[in-house]
Amino acid sequence: MVREEVAGSTQTLQWKCVESRVDSKRLYYGRFILSPLRKGQADTVGIALRRALLGEIEGTCITRAKFGSVPHEYSTIAGIEESVQEILLNLKEIVLRSNLYGVRDASICVKGPRYITAQDIILPPSVEIVDTAQPIANLTEPIDFCIDLQIKRDRGYQTELRKNYQDGSYPIDAVSMPVRNVNYSIFSCGNGNEKHEILFLEIWTNGSLTPKEALYEASRNLIDLFLPFLHAEEEGASFEENKNRFTPPLFTFQKRLTNLKKNKKGIPLNCIFIDQLELTSRTYNCLKRANIHTLLDLLSKTEEDLLRIDSFRMEDRKHIWDTLEKHLPIDLLKNKLSF
Amino acid sequence: MLRNGNEGMSTIPGFSQIQFEGFCRFINQALAEELDKFPTIKDPDHEIAFQLFAKGYQLLEPSIKERDAVYESLTYSSELYVSARLIFGFDVQKQTISIGNIPIMNSLGTFIINGIYRIVINQILLSPGIYYRSELDHKGISIYTGTIISDWGGRSELAIDKKERIWARVSRKQKISILVLSSAMGSNLREILDNVSYPEIFLSFPNAKEKKRIESKEKAILEFYQQFACVGGDLVFSESLCEELQKKFFQQKCELGRIGRRNMNRRLNLDIPQNNTFLLPRDVLAATDHLIGMKFGTGILDDDDMNHLKNKRIRSVADLLQDQFGLALGRLQHAVQKTIRRVFIRQSKPTPQTLVTPTSTSILLITTYETFFGTYPLSQVFDQTNPLTQTVHGRKVSCLGPGGLTGRTASFRSRDIHPSHYGRICPIDTSEGINVGLTGSLAIHARIDHLWGSIESPFYEISAEKAKEKKERQVVYLSPNRDEYYMIAAGNSLSLNQGIQEEQVVPARYRQEFLTIAWEQIHVRSIFPFQYFSIGGSLIPFIEHNDANRALMSSNMQRQAVPLSRSEKCIVGTGLERQTALDSRVSIIAEREGKIISTDSHKILLSSSGKTISIPLVNHRRSNKNTCMHQKPRVPRGKSIKKGQILAEGAATVGGELALGKNVLVAYMPWEGYNFEDAVLISERLVYEDIYTSFHIRKYEIQTDTTSQGSAEKITKEIPHLEEHLLRNLDRNGVVRLGSWVETGDILVGKLTPQIASESSYIAEAGLLRAIFGLEVSTSKETSLKLPIGGRGRVIDVKWIQRDPLDIMVRVYILQKREIKVGDKVAGRHGNKGIISKILPRQDMPYLQDGTPVDMVFNPLGVPSRMNVGQIFESSLGLAGDLLKKHYRIAPFDERYEQEASRKLVFSELYEASKETKNPWVFEPEYPGKSRIFDGRTGDPFEQPVLIGKSYILKLIHQVDEKIHGRSTGPYSLVTQQPVRGRAKQGGQRVGEMEVWALEGFGVAHILQEILTYKSDHLIARQEILNATIWGKRIPNHEDPPESFRVLVRELRSLALELNHFLVSEKNFQVNREEV
Repeated sequence: MVREEVAGSTQTLQWKCVESRVDSKRLYYGRFILSPLRKGQADTVGIALRRALLGEIEGTCITRAKFGSVPHEYSTIAGIEESVQEILLNLKEIVLRSNLYGVRDASICVKGPRYITAQDIILPPSVEIVDTAQPIANLTEPIDFCIDLQIKRDRGYQTELRKNYQDGSYPIDAVSMPVRNVNYSIFSCGNGNEKHEILFLEIWTNGSLTPKEALYEASRNLIDLFLPFLHAEEEGASFEENKNRFTPPLFTFQKRLTNLKKNKKGIPLNCIFIDQLELTSRTYNCLKRANIHTLLDLLSKTEEDLLRIDSFRMEDRKHIWDTLEKHLPIDLLKNKLSF
Repeated sequence: MLRNGNEGMSTIPGFSQIQFEGFCRFINQALAEELDKFPTIKDPDHEIAFQLFAKGYQLLEPSIKERDAVYESLTYSSELYVSARLIFGFDVQKQTISIGNIPIMNSLGTFIINGIYRIVINQILLSPGIYYRSELDHKGISIYTGTIISDWGGRSELAIDKKERIWARVSRKQKISILVLSSAMGSNLREILDNVSYPEIFLSFPNAKEKKRIESKEKAILEFYQQFACVGGDLVFSESLCEELQKKFFQQKCELGRIGRRNMNRRLNLDIPQNNTFLLPRDVLAATDHLIGMKFGTGILDDDDMNHLKNKRIRSVADLLQDQFGLALGRLQHAVQKTIRRVFIRQSKPTPQTLVTPTSTSILLITTYETFFGTYPLSQVFDQTNPLTQTVHGRKVSCLGPGGLTGRTASFRSRDIHPSHYGRICPIDTSEGINVGLTGSLAIHARIDHLWGSIESPFYEISAEKAKEKKERQVVYLSPNRDEYYMIAAGNSLSLNQGIQEEQVVPARYRQEFLTIAWEQIHVRSIFPFQYFSIGGSLIPFIEHNDANRALMSSNMQRQAVPLSRSEKCIVGTGLERQTALDSRVSIIAEREGKIISTDSHKILLSSSGKTISIPLVNHRRSNKNTCMHQKPRVPRGKSIKKGQILAEGAATVGGELALGKNVLVAYMPWEGYNFEDAVLISERLVYEDIYTSFHIRKYEIQTDTTSQGSAEKITKEIPHLEEHLLRNLDRNGVVRLGSWVETGDILVGKLTPQIASESSYIAEAGLLRAIFGLEVSTSKETSLKLPIGGRGRVIDVKWIQRDPLDIMVRVYILQKREIKVGDKVAGRHGNKGIISKILPRQDMPYLQDGTPVDMVFNPLGVPSRMNVGQIFESSLGLAGDLLKKHYRIAPFDERYEQEASRKLVFSELYEASKETKNPWVFEPEYPGKSRIFDGRTGDPFEQPVLIGKSYILKLIHQVDEKIHGRSTGPYSLVTQQPVRGRAKQGGQRVGEMEVWALEGFGVAHILQEILTYKSDHLIARQEILNATIWGKRIPNHEDPPESFRVLVRELRSLALELNHFLVSEKNFQVNREEV
């Protein structure tokens, strides 16, 4: 009945792009409205969309650069005005448009003297440059200059630990945040009980996608986050079956563990620490090293997981199992006997 | 030659000029003065005579470049050539000889000593002369004293007591009758009585005994010596005694120097010639006369104000270097004397040069200077945190150091601001803590008169006649003693209505008082609102709205700002940024006009009048404070440039202006307690956009030695018993590879120290291994250079320095890129400082009405109690400037134009910005400057409008990476056996009284027990705990007291107090004594 009323009293929700302009190659602006919304809904949608737009949109950027023969990223190359560090900073700011998955390679190969801009990047097919005028470096001498780049689509930002890459490439702390700014405002209209709200959404992007695309992607990402709720809650049995598929039939260990997990509802498993199991120090240390601290941690590991731990042996497995049997309640044991 | 030529104009003097002028004086005058004093050295038979001439000395251009000196750890110095004459019998030789090297000041106003930039700070001392003081003693009777201060800082006191006897007291020792003193100085009673105005007083007090003492000079000297040196018994007059007295008293306590003589003459109305720099009996008698005059009211009752700047003098680089040069020449004299004696024995034929060339002699000068720069308290390591620091460091004046005050004992009055400081020493820029008020900073317009050591401040002369004669105003430099006689109009309200000055009544200063007088009576007026402040103080916009304490903190904190990877000019500034950046010499400025041939990250090629000049650039170089110095070319190729144009920019400068921080959007509001107690909440944007990212370069070095057995250590890659992982970065020589990324614990330089393989020194298992496998266990110990805790980064340079084949030094430079993180210290320019407490994603930060997330959230409670309202003005004006794309340069004290001028300016600009950008929220009349903002997490507006704006925020050098520290085990201090203090020593965290209360309050007895015993100073428990944990046993519970208690008991025993406890048996009352 209620549902009918909603449907009856309001028209279907509609969105419209009210304003769209390109301020520069790297600044797009779009204004959208969504209406009509019932009182309070605009806020729900607005804040969710703002947060999704700011935090959930993927972007493409250069994540790694390899220079020919540079000892380190703070050195300088003769004939170039910028130091390697500054070139890396310039590369970080280059805006790309793509819909790729995984890592792609790109490169720059030019001969000086000239200014290198984003235009000079040789890109894989699915990637294009948004602002070709973005500066990279200034070659002042007639030298050959080559950089190999890696391009990746990602979200958020990464500060990579600079490990030693023997190939002499340097990571760029890429920032994949194509949406620059989002704002929303709510307007109430109508009178009396018939009040409804209009949601205005303003989006500024860096040009790698239009505000409209950003809005589409944000909504999709937001919906993806809610999707699990739409499915019926998964049964324990199906979950167990699911797991069993990966367990080799010979080993029943995993089954036992899951069984244990299922049956031990009485005692919170995460409150029992493996210290309390009186394991041998060897086994104990093994588990600790693998970040297994509580019984719950232990039980949630598959047998392969356990065997993959460094210096974990079959004896240890047996030992753990024996201890578990010794300590856990009798009904568990009974249960176990049925297998 | 360094003075700026246009005296008539009020240009800001070069900020490093103080240092240059000092050094120039040393080179141009002081060297000659000292060489003049060099005596002719003769041998006992007068056959050889050696002489140096003050005229025509020459300094050679330094043999090494400044950069090489730094890189190779050498001293940047130049050779001094002096003309000398040697008379050997009838043979007269004249020769220009080299007598050694003198460190040379570079363009930063610093010296390079052993590869380290050092700077000599100006010292401010009490001027030599006499100072009178009257004070009440505990009974309420006035006591009059006159203190004579010598050039070396020695004090002797003249006092008159209630029985009208006059005493002299030399360096706080026993008092000596004035008659004895005068007689010892060489005058007899007759002369004394002739020369004083009140002979009756002199005659009244000596009794019979006294008279006997002064009947001859010898007796007087003997008596004086006895009193002075505090020796008893009968002394016999001798030459040696006289000599000692000469040395200890007359040289140390009586040399007045040039300045002292002038002061003495001035104070006592004497006319003793200037070149007589010693204290004469006449001075003493005149001083006594004055004292008597004060006592009996016939003289003028004028106490001297020891804190007045007219009674202070500046001891600059020139004076300090001159003293050292004199010292070195003295040593040279001895050395030459020795050589002459040797020459005489050997009968060889010397030349002037051979007399001074033996190795020990030729390095005399440089070693003297190196020890001076290394040990003298006023020679400090040049602070190079940022360009501002560099500029300011040379302009410091310190009351500390030899002959000066000490931080612990200096009185409050000597630390205070004195009216004579105005325009000379900054009233706000001083250090915090123990040295507050003792180290100051020169005001920007102040100038040092190197002849008399006084600080002068410029003023406009505006006497009526002068104004009529010539239109332009005359700038006069006033020293503190002349300053007193002028009516000085303060800078405020003068720039108003210049036309109708006649009727105006203006505030003025006269003799340390503030008056309001008519315009016609004014003699001079101050020239610039910044005149009172130091550079640090004058870089604070709206300083007049800040409490002085906070302005002080600000001027100190700006010096701690770290240069950022990409700098940004401040939106709101004071206009002094350019000069500061220029004078810091971090940027390269064209020395002549020309055309740019090419630019590069290494160098700029400039063609000027047919010549090609290569200007090298600095690339990621380490500064003394581990910050990164880097220069970027700023001129395009082919461009013609003028003299004085900026060619390349250094760290923390943009467009020739100082740029220490970043303009960020700030809000003053509480946020979930994350900005409680000055904590600061920041947006992730500051991290990922590299807004506050800085580079830090650390130097790690290791040296190979030769062991006591004579075997040399060697640098190698083959290091046994170490994980391959730790050695992965080493090249085949055993030194870390250039460009490798290193983490804590990695080996930077592999080094082995050979050990003598004696049978007994084998480690336990070595014997076994040898017995079983016949393995030779390594006979050397691994003493590699490892990257200490917290260190990580990229190896950007490896330097081998080899002085001789066995002594190799390897230096590894590691560059670290540091983003801003939780625990870092940030500060504004108004003393508003805080620690980053949390970094929020941008969508969680509060956002403005146009959706922009705020970058930093400060606590509003940080403003009212600190009274630094300038930050509010700055942030609001910054916001307006950001929206209007304008930069503001605001001189302080703009209130003199009209009331509330600052507020009006800020609001009108905000209004303008609001109109221009069509953002009504920028200026809302109900709450101007504030705006309604929203919570990024919920989208709800906050309850009240919040002050937002753009502030210029600096990242300071105090960063967590250098503070974070934990200790599992580590060293203990020897006596108390408690863990040592400090991060550098792997120390422990002190659990003080209050921390103990906290633990007591929680009732955690066992934790308290473990903290007080086996984690601290219970020796036995500490040893047993290891075993107990290894074997899984119970931790033992000891009842005996910890070590520090035993120390207490022993200290009490040394005071003859016994603290002990006894067990008394219940059965037989037997006492069992137990040793604590």
